[in-house]
Amino acid sequence: MACLIVSDDRANRLQDGLRRPVSALFMPPALLWWGMDIAPPPIAETAAVPPQIEVAGLTKLYGDFTAVNDLSFSVRPGEVIGLVGPNGAGKTTTLRCLAGIIPPTRGSVRICGFDLASQPIEAKRRLAFFSDEPRLFDYLTVNQHLTFVARIYSVADYEQTGRQLLEELEIADKADKLPVELSRGMKQKLAIACGFLHAPQVIFFDEPLTGLDPIGIRRMKDSILKRARAGAAILISSHLLHLLEEVCSHVLILKDGRKVIDGSLEEVRQKFSEEAGGGNLEDAFFRATGESKGEE
Amino acid sequence: MIAGALYYYQFHSWWNRLRTRIRRLRQPKYLVGAIVGGLYFYFYLFRGLASGRHGAPSAAAGPVLAGMNDLPQTLAAMGLMVVLLLAWILPHSRAALAFTEPEVAFLFPAPVSRRTLIHFKLLKSQTTILFSALLMTFIGRGWSGGHLLTRALGWWAGMSIFNLHLLGSSFALTMLMDRGFSTWKRRVLILGAVAAAAAGIFIWVRHSLPAFPATADQQGMAWLFRYVAQVFESGPLPYLLFPFRLVVTPYFAVTYKQFFIALGPALGIMGLHYLWVIHSNVAFEEASVELSRRLAERISAVRAGQWHAARRPKKAARPPFVLRPTGHPAVALFWKNLISTGQYVTMRVWIMLVWVAVIVGFSLNHFAGGGLGMMATLFVAMLLVMSLFSGPQMLRNDLRQDLPVADVLKMFPMPGWQVVLGEVLTPAAILAGLQWLLLLCGVIFCPERLDTYPISLAQRLSVALAAAMVLPFIDLVALLIPNAAVLIFPAWFQLGKDAPRGFETMGQQLILMFGQVLVLGLSLLPAGVAFTLFLWGGSVLHWPLLGVMLGALAAAIILAIEAGVGIKLLGGVFERFDVSGELL
Repeated sequence: MACLIVSDDRANRLQDGLRRPVSALFMPPALLWWGMDIAPPPIAETAAVPPQIEVAGLTKLYGDFTAVNDLSFSVRPGEVIGLVGPNGAGKTTTLRCLAGIIPPTRGSVRICGFDLASQPIEAKRRLAFFSDEPRLFDYLTVNQHLTFVARIYSVADYEQTGRQLLEELEIADKADKLPVELSRGMKQKLAIACGFLHAPQVIFFDEPLTGLDPIGIRRMKDSILKRARAGAAILISSHLLHLLEEVCSHVLILKDGRKVIDGSLEEVRQKFSEEAGGGNLEDAFFRATGESKGEE
Repeated sequence: MIAGALYYYQFHSWWNRLRTRIRRLRQPKYLVGAIVGGLYFYFYLFRGLASGRHGAPSAAAGPVLAGMNDLPQTLAAMGLMVVLLLAWILPHSRAALAFTEPEVAFLFPAPVSRRTLIHFKLLKSQTTILFSALLMTFIGRGWSGGHLLTRALGWWAGMSIFNLHLLGSSFALTMLMDRGFSTWKRRVLILGAVAAAAAGIFIWVRHSLPAFPATADQQGMAWLFRYVAQVFESGPLPYLLFPFRLVVTPYFAVTYKQFFIALGPALGIMGLHYLWVIHSNVAFEEASVELSRRLAERISAVRAGQWHAARRPKKAARPPFVLRPTGHPAVALFWKNLISTGQYVTMRVWIMLVWVAVIVGFSLNHFAGGGLGMMATLFVAMLLVMSLFSGPQMLRNDLRQDLPVADVLKMFPMPGWQVVLGEVLTPAAILAGLQWLLLLCGVIFCPERLDTYPISLAQRLSVALAAAMVLPFIDLVALLIPNAAVLIFPAWFQLGKDAPRGFETMGQQLILMFGQVLVLGLSLLPAGVAFTLFLWGGSVLHWPLLGVMLGALAAAIILAIEAGVGIKLLGGVFERFDVSGELL
């Protein structure tokens, strides 16, 4: 990830930081096998690639209340950015504005070069948004959901892709079930299958691990990194900082609707750690937001 | 101690709810709604009371019921018996007391005895019963000749006993289930007993009463009522109805003396029911937890305007047609919403309805003569007119259903007008289908002559075809109005599980309904003018049928243009619709 205006020096540092699998930065050695398995894509050239997500001066007001204030950042292909902040920081509002669900009060959002306000159809065709609560239609079966989404996004070969997705997500045997017959985790998987069906280049996750069991969490992390390796630009909002440490290449910390910092995990960690090379994202988060840990 | 906590909870919940609603009146939309709702209540319910017309006993009965004052009471007892019998026949699950989810969460793990929970439930139900009794007293003010107070107390006694009986029967049925007595065995036994009783009564009537004349209509309605009263009041039926009559008699008492004499036995029955319920030792907790969850979902769905979703689909519906992955995306919304109608809107159902219409129509005209056919035609015409007004209100498989998932719709790569088109197509198609079916019925039912005036097949077909041309576009325009209202004034629609209730929201709905009728009238005006002009032209040129057809075509074109413009404009509104401001 890089800011809209990135100095050469910073771009170089970013490239250096990104050459390594980000998950390896904070991961205990025992877990490195998993990090190897899900190594992020080779992104040495990402700084030269145009951003998939470009946000400039994004502001969202609810009456007198400013939910998001003058937010600017960009995300390049293959980058996974963690959006963190305390409750009410404006994370979900930001994601909803980026997904075209709610209109921003000011500022612009470009998805794969298409302006979300003036070219919404082209922009939306390239993105997927996963909310914390799977949003499904009660009366459509798993298969019917895929058929419906395929028509909306004009996915001609959806049957094969859909079948593969259901198999990967291990809900192929539930193809004729209604959402009411699925567990929460399965509903989440169905929402993921629907979202991935049109191979989005930009993906937004809002608390993607809510309600998933340990296997589901592992698969979700795998899936996120697999998409990033395939070149998708991914933005994840989550309170689970250890998850972000495992999957994100970058982090953006929000507080009261304003950006506190953004950069690679290493950068953020270094900037907010008391001693060089020490600390983790949690420490950095508490220092960046001025919050204090419960035990302190 | 526990009971005190429960009373405290009940009273303060009610009081806080009232305070919230009063505080809400600071918002103009609720204040206006409250004024309109209040006026409606005043004019509909209280105006007669204020003028003193309904406080005193009235001379009950019209000429038909003169001398048969007992018949309404007997019919009420009969109705009560049937309903209570159903309460023993229909249930197939264990007894479950309806608690709210927070009540389950707080009370079930608390050290509260089962009996206390039942008492709490009974106390809670009294709030609903008292309100319902009051409402029914005003609504049914002409149904009996008693005083206002005796009618209100009569309703209260009847409803309380009914409530206690439902509870007691559900406990009894659960005990039977626990003892291995299957639902079907129980149903067969009860239905067998009912059939035996009905057969006994029938045989008695055949042997003891004069035969029912074949030409009953010639004897007049008074004779019919007297005959029915005779059946009810002699032979075995009065004995069968006796306990049920005891329950309904207080309501029908005309004087205070009659009322107090009737109230004694009713209170006795209530006391016996109370003892029955309170001494039933049945485990209802597990079923209650499940019921509370389902109830919460249902309330949430109904408040969100999703009446169909209040009954969650139990099995997947077959798609109405194969949806190809490429093509106009609005068709996907049409397809989705057709599936949401469940099993009711399938090709098989439509074909069956057409067959029924054809068979009934030909039977009417062939066997029953023209009079009945004309009556049926008029009935069909009435249904057609009603469908124009109530159809768009009842069929809500459009934005009104999908607005709670507006965030999902907003993410779709579709221009707003396509979303609106896809959403309104389903109710428009269903409504048009029903209307076409009614038109077919009209053509078949309509006799070939009315008195001396012949109605040719060409005339019938021309009118039906003209109507078939215009109606779908009227439906489309009519459906766009509530969909526009829901997008422009989303706060006035009942969305989300915390949507407000009360007579102020009823007032809001009245205002919306009035607005919808007004806008529909204005939208139909240009088409109506065009149709009239062509009709007039056709009459002048002595080609009335051609005038009808051309007029309908012109009207359809005007309405189609209006619908197209409306969809385009509404699409823009949808694109600008800020989900966060209203729904999230």
